[in-house]
Amino acid sequence: MARLGQGVSAINANMTPMIDVTFLLIVFFVVVSQIVDRDVVPMDLPAPEQAVSGISEEADRIVVNLVPTAGGEIASIVVAGHAIGWDEMDSLTAIVKSRIQSGASEVHLRADKATTYNHIHGAIEAIRAVGTTPRLQLVVNGDQP
Amino acid sequence: MILRKRKAGSIGLNLTSMIDVVFLLLIYFMVATEFRTAEESFPMDLPIRNHGQSLMLDREPLVILVESTGQGQHDVRLRLEGPWDPLPSVDALFAFLRSNLAEGIGSSGLFTQAHPILIRPTPQTRWDHTLTIYNTAAKAKYTNITLDEPS
Repeated sequence: MARLGQGVSAINANMTPMIDVTFLLIVFFVVVSQIVDRDVVPMDLPAPEQAVSGISEEADRIVVNLVPTAGGEIASIVVAGHAIGWDEMDSLTAIVKSRIQSGASEVHLRADKATTYNHIHGAIEAIRAVGTTPRLQLVVNGDQP
Repeated sequence: MILRKRKAGSIGLNLTSMIDVVFLLLIYFMVATEFRTAEESFPMDLPIRNHGQSLMLDREPLVILVESTGQGQHDVRLRLEGPWDPLPSVDALFAFLRSNLAEGIGSSGLFTQAHPILIRPTPQTRWDHTLTIYNTAAKAKYTNITLDEPS
């Protein structure tokens, strides 16, 4: 039965709490998200037990990524946005040298835990060939197993 | 002049488009977010090769030979160059390094903290095993640790 004298009212949901929560979620993801980190190639880093490694500085660094393949080989080397062949150690030396001359102060070596030492050693020797290289940082997974 | 009386209505903001954009942003960040694992590092001075040069006797490095025997964290064979007893495990290496570290006056340790430790893996040694040994030496409070050429 329709009542006289009452207008038709719209039923509105109260959106305020939902918008609050949504904005909080957005702020959270904006803060924690890492959209682009071109320096870092995903790989399974070594994670020594009870490691006494330290948190490394991210400023003015050169990251040398030895991109792994199955079987402990390396497919390529990614350094400062350049992808070079695994056997192009002269190119690695040249890139690291130019970055050091432009102000970088640390070289971070990232390699998969299964990579064999002969490949690692080749990269270390290429970095050493720069001559004026400061300390090398051997990167490990900081999450303790 | 006759003014027509207006009916009082509620002034509401249309939130639909804002909510659309906000949800799009939320979905974008949820998809694009990558929680990166924390990375740490061991600082290492780059090795100085001494081909054909003699070393001072008291600075002769302690050479640790490393070889992988499997994929596990402790599947590694260790040996010390020189007149040292065999090392059956990584824990034994840690015990050896700690017991021979000279700390303070009156200590019977053979090596100072700055004594050069040279880690010499075989060419096929896994990187995690090499760094496990590096970490063991660093954990034993040695500060002058270097990676050598593969043996």
